[in-house]
Order: sequence, then structure tokens, then C-alpha cells
Amino acid sequence: MTAAGNWGSRYILAIGIGAALAVAMGAALLMGFRLATQLHADIGSLQTASALQAYPIEVGRELDSLREHLEVRAYEGNARAALGESVRHFDENFRALQAADHGDAARLDRINTQWRRFHALIDPVIGFHAEPYIDSDTAGTILSQAGRAQFARVRRASLYAAEHAQALRHELAAITGRLQTAASAAAVRLRGLLLGGVLAALVLAAAAAWLLISRSRHERAAREAQERTRDIMRTVREGFFLLDAGHRIGSVWSDALIRMFNREDFAGLSFHDLLKDLVPSETLATAAKYINLLWGERAHENLMKSINPLSQVQIIRENERGVKETRYLQFDFHRVSGPRGIKHVLCSVGDITSSVLLSRELQESQGNANAQLDMLIGMMRTDPVQLVSFLDTADAGLRLINAIMKEPARSDAEFRRKLEGLLRELHSLKGEAAALELHSIAERLHALEDLVGACEARQELSGADFLPLVLKLDEMLAHLRGVREIASRLALTRETPAPAAHDPLATTLETMAAQLARDHGKRWRFDASGLAGVPPRYAQTVKDCLIQMLRNSAVHGIETPQLRRSRAKSEIGRVSVAFRRGEGGYELLFEDDGAGIAPETVKEAALRKHLITESEAAAMDSRAAMALIFRPGLSTAAGVSMDAGRGVGMDVVARCIRAAGGRIGVSTNPGKFTRFKITLPATDDSDSAVA
Amino acid sequence: MLHEKELTTFVDGTTNFFAVAAQQAASIGSPYLLEEALALHEYSGLIDVSGKRQGVVCFTAPKAMLAVLLMKMQETDFSHETMRDLVGEVANTISGNARRAFGGDFLISVPNVLSGETQSIAPRPGTRSFIIPINWRSHSAKLIVSLS
Repeated sequence: MTAAGNWGSRYILAIGIGAALAVAMGAALLMGFRLATQLHADIGSLQTASALQAYPIEVGRELDSLREHLEVRAYEGNARAALGESVRHFDENFRALQAADHGDAARLDRINTQWRRFHALIDPVIGFHAEPYIDSDTAGTILSQAGRAQFARVRRASLYAAEHAQALRHELAAITGRLQTAASAAAVRLRGLLLGGVLAALVLAAAAAWLLISRSRHERAAREAQERTRDIMRTVREGFFLLDAGHRIGSVWSDALIRMFNREDFAGLSFHDLLKDLVPSETLATAAKYINLLWGERAHENLMKSINPLSQVQIIRENERGVKETRYLQFDFHRVSGPRGIKHVLCSVGDITSSVLLSRELQESQGNANAQLDMLIGMMRTDPVQLVSFLDTADAGLRLINAIMKEPARSDAEFRRKLEGLLRELHSLKGEAAALELHSIAERLHALEDLVGACEARQELSGADFLPLVLKLDEMLAHLRGVREIASRLALTRETPAPAAHDPLATTLETMAAQLARDHGKRWRFDASGLAGVPPRYAQTVKDCLIQMLRNSAVHGIETPQLRRSRAKSEIGRVSVAFRRGEGGYELLFEDDGAGIAPETVKEAALRKHLITESEAAAMDSRAAMALIFRPGLSTAAGVSMDAGRGVGMDVVARCIRAAGGRIGVSTNPGKFTRFKITLPATDDSDSAVA
Repeated sequence: MLHEKELTTFVDGTTNFFAVAAQQAASIGSPYLLEEALALHEYSGLIDVSGKRQGVVCFTAPKAMLAVLLMKMQETDFSHETMRDLVGEVANTISGNARRAFGGDFLISVPNVLSGETQSIAPRPGTRSFIIPINWRSHSAKLIVSLS
């Protein structure tokens, strides 16, 4: 049983005892009152009886006095009046004594009988009104006839008094004694009752004092418990509150909630109102259903935890400095049960921002570690000379990108021109990184391309849109520095140099072709010839062009095995590259036996991208339509991927060829093949391998 | 790694100054990386940053731009000292904005003002240095954020 339960039982017991004592006291007081009333009556009777004792003797004496007055012929009126007065007093007192219930009726009857007899003798004496004396000269004053009769009556009464007054007095004394005894007994009982009452009052007072002290102690303990609870609620870092069946917050909550939600009006606030501006309405609706489920007795709490929709909630709130910040909160719900079922749902809220961010950093770190491992594997597979060459190219490319960024721009058009230049450079670098299986670099470049793409999609461009780009560019440069450092360490730790490929470009393209086939679910045979004879001056140009064209073949050219089978073609496609010296220069041929290019498809893509108008499309012949594939921004791909979709690849090829002073031609037969023929002017270089 | 939010905070601090003081918002140009020493304009306000990040944030502006800015602010004194006070005030606004946004994470010094045409700022090893052109009317200043 709890402390509160003990206190409750004791309180009820104390109240019971107090009530019993109060009843006892009431009874004692009532009895005391009755006793006191009885005592008062007895004392009155006692006084009356005491007074009555003297009257028979007094009446006797007054009769004697009256007789003496008559004998000496003195005026007897006063004596007679005094006698009458005493008789009247006796009558009155005796009637009072009779009226009082003193429990001695027999004795009273006897006294009454004797007194009545006495009374009958005295009444004529008192009632005498004649002249008792006769004055004569001879005899002097003598009794008259009436006087003699009066004298005889007085003598008879006096004689009666002498015989019975004492007995009458004894009877009255007996009554007085009995009344004294009764009064004494009543006084003793009254004293006892008073004593009992005082004792009961003392016990009652003691019980009340104990009750007050206990209550005070209990209240102090309750206050201390409340203070301790308040201290806990003030100190604890988690937010705690109770929800009732109506999803309203109770009157007690922890102060951490104030920091978490930047408000203080939690009492009576509905859970919905608490979160309505912080989480999506769908999540809130799901949370309400979840809490309703918790109120069901049959729902398994541990099982419920696994479907908690608020186990990690992202909120945006203003911090104490008025700055909006993103925090992550975790809500946990626990049922609080009582004897009559579920009383509340206890909700605990934890700010898990640090752990979420740490977890993300760990994931990112793990991702980086994996990426570095992949990169390391890629670097191990790559010819060191080619790797260093790529790093130099990438470094130069990124510096060129920074130079493009640096060009002053204020208008939307100026910013958009920047984006075109950035995309070309990035796409070219990404192709080369992918060809060398440097995936971590290729993925970062792809992410940069995505940012550029996001900028392109904006209605109006400003410098602020380029802030994420410049940060990513900086990260890219830092990553390249890391790769270069690893490359230099790798070169130091390699005991023997990796065997140099006889034709590094061909090897790179073969590796890339195999990777692209895997990535796009295609099958083909890649043949390369004459690439060892590419003069150094054209090495980068040829590499860039072939990488872009190979990616195009992977995405647009070679069909899937199923499609090829349905078109009665061999499941295994063919991509061939040939470089040879021709008349007055060099010739690079690139051919695949894939889907070819349909001029109408190219026109439709150009129309979608608003590169041409409807009327221009209608006026365009096949040759002009095919030329569109070299326009920046044109892509026939359905979406953006690592290898296509941005409309940059063939633009890069065309610009590289033009920069080298060469020309490019394309011939195609839809459904059968696509062939690119690139001619480059002669150089003074002799036949040299690509570096 | 410097986050976009941090960079944006410094940029906003700068553009806010123009919006409030000159009643005419400034726009930002295309940002780029500081690769080699960059000559500063005639007047520059620098704040040193320590704590979560280490480095310097610098607002550098040409005299002509500051003169127009003073005119827009109804100032009649175009002296050297007033120009210095003005770039100091811009740097002060940037630091105030950063303090509000970052609180105790960043310890930001009081502005240090440089003047003259021979000053330059160079990228320091271990820091990431960004240059954000601040375009206002026909003039252009630079905000340089160089933090580790």
C-alpha cells in the first residue's frame, strides 16, 4: 500500500474515533444536564423540607404565644396574624414539596394527614374575628364568650401541637435526610459525568491534535514530494507530459518542453495543437490514430513502439536567438494504468538532434570510407601515368570551372551562360573519371552536375543560386587533393610499377565499355584499333570524344539483348573504334550497330527543349535534324543519369573537334547503326602513344 | 567543412546592411574560390572568427562605391575617416548577424579596418576561401569568407 493509502486509512480511523468521542461527550453532557436539573430540584425540595421542619414547632410556639396573650388579656391580633402567616407558609412549602417528585409519597401522605388534622384545629383560631375581651368596671377585662371559645380552641390546638409537632418535624426531617442523600448521590454522579466529559474532551482534543499533526506531516511530505517532482521536472532533459483520453496535456510537465517547443502554455493544450505547425498533417493524423490505439487495453505496448510514427520527427523552430533551426525529436508513449484501466498516456520527448546528426555523419563517414576504398581499388587498377594525367586534367578543368564562376555576371542570361560552360566541363571530366573507374570522383562530379541542373531549372537566376555550387566545387578540389596524395603514396609503396598497358587509351575504353554494359544491362563487343598511334596533341581530344560517344552508345545506341533479339539482331552488339592516318591528317571512326538515330526523334527532343520552333522543325531535312545532336542542351534520354540526359555529351565532342581544328560527320540508319567520322588536321608529331 | 548556411549568414549580413542603411538592396554576383592572393579594394573591414571555425571574414569595397553609399545615407562628410567608419560598420553588421545566428559557436572579434590600395588577402592552408561579389547599383564590392 502506498503512503497515501496508509494516510487515508488512519484519517478515517481518527475521524471514527473522534465521532465516537463526540457522541460520548454529548451523552455525558445530556446526562449531566438531567442530573443537574434533578439536583437542582432536589436541592429546592431539600430547602423546602428544611424550612418545613421548623414550622410545626413554630406553629406550636405561636399557639402558646396566642394562648398567653389571651390569658393576660393582651391584644392577640398580631400573634394570630403571625400564626396565620406560618400556616400559610407551611401550606405553600408543603404543596411545593408534594409537587416535587422526590420518591417518598407515603411519608408525605402521612405528613399531610397529620397536618390536615392540625390544620383543622388551627383554622378556627386563625379565622377568629370577634372581640375576645369584655371590659367591666367590676371585673376588669375578662374573656368574652367568643374569647373563651377562642381560648379553648387555642388550648386544644396547642395541646395537639405539643403532642404531634415533634413527630411531624421528624417526618419532615426524614424527608430532608433522604433528599440530602439523593442530592449527594446526584452530585457524585454529576462529578463523575463531568470528569468523564473532561476526559473525553481531552481525548478528543488529543485526537484532533494528533490528526492535525499527522495531517500537517502528511502535507509537508506531500509538499516535499511535489517539490522533488518539480525539481525532477525542472532538471530532466527529456520532455514529459500526460495525455488524457481527449489527447489533452495534463497540468504537470517538464521544463524541457519549453526549450523544445518554445512555448509555455501546455496545460490543457491538445496534442494536435502542439504539433500542428511542426509536422506534416499526415504524420499528425497518423499520430492521433496511434495514440487512440494506445488507449485500447488489448494493444501490445512493445509492439506498438515499432509502429510509432513520431519516433523521429524533424521540426523547424526558432531558437532563443530567434534563428530558425532544424531539430529532431523522438516521442515515446507509455500507458499509465490504474485499477479501472488506462488512466493516461505518458509521453516522453527527447531531443535526438545530436545523435541523428552523429548517425548521419557516421553514415557519411562510412560512405566516404567506402568511396575511398572504391577509389583506392580504382586507382590500383589504373595506370599511374594515366591517373596522374587525369588528375592534372581534372585540376585544370576545375580551375577552368572556377574561372567561369569568376566571370562577372548580373543578369539571368549571364548566369545561364555560366551554367552551360560549367556543364560542358563537368560532363567531360565525369566521363574521363568514369572511364578510369574513379567512381568517387565521377559521383561527386555528377552531384555537381545535379546542382547545375537545379540552377538551370530556376525561373530567375542570381548569384545566391551559385553558393551551393562553389561549396561543392571546393569540396571537389579538396577531394582531388586527397586522391593525388593517395596516388603519390601509392606510387611510393608500390615495390614494382604496375605493368604499363601497351595501349592505355584502348584499355581505358575497354574498361569503361564493360562498366557501361553492366550499368545499363547491355551486351556488346568493343573493338579498338590504332589508338596507340594517336599523336600527343590529339590525345585529350580523342579521349574526350570517345568517352562521350561510348556513353552515348551505351544509353542511346546499343539496345537491350531482348530488344535486339526481337529485332532479329545478335544479342551481343558491336562497338568499334578505329584511328588511322589519312590523307592530310587523321581519321577517327566510331561505330555501333545499335538503334541508330531517327531524325524525327531528334527534332521532337529539340522541340521539347525549345531549341527549335515548330516551323523550324517542319522545314528541317534529315541532315539538319542530325546536326541538332551537337547542340547544347539536347538529349533524347528520358531522364538524367550518370551517363546521359543533360544534353552535354555531343556538345562536348563537337567543341573538342572544333577546338582541334577538325570536323565531325555522322551517318546513321535507324535500327541498324550509327557512325561518327572525325577528321583531324595533320600535325608535325610522329606516331606517338597517348600519354 | 563550411556549410552553406554559414556562408549564407555572412552574405545576408552584408546585403542586409545595404537594404537597411541605403534603402536599396544589394545583390550577389557569382561566387568563386580564392586561389591566389587577391588585391583588396581601398577600404576593407575584417572580422576574425574563432571557435567552431577559425579564420577571417572580410568586406572590401572601392572608394567610389562607399561614396555613393554615403550619399544614399544622406551623409555629407566623405572623408577618409568616414569611409573607414562605413566599412567598419558593414563588418560590424556582418558580425552582429553572425552572432545572432551562431550564438556561442563562433567567437567573432570587433571589426578591424584596413585602407589603402596595397592590401591583399591570400588563401591560407587548411582554410576554405570564398569570394562573393556584392553588387550594388553599378558598383561591386567583395565579401571574402576564409574559414577552416
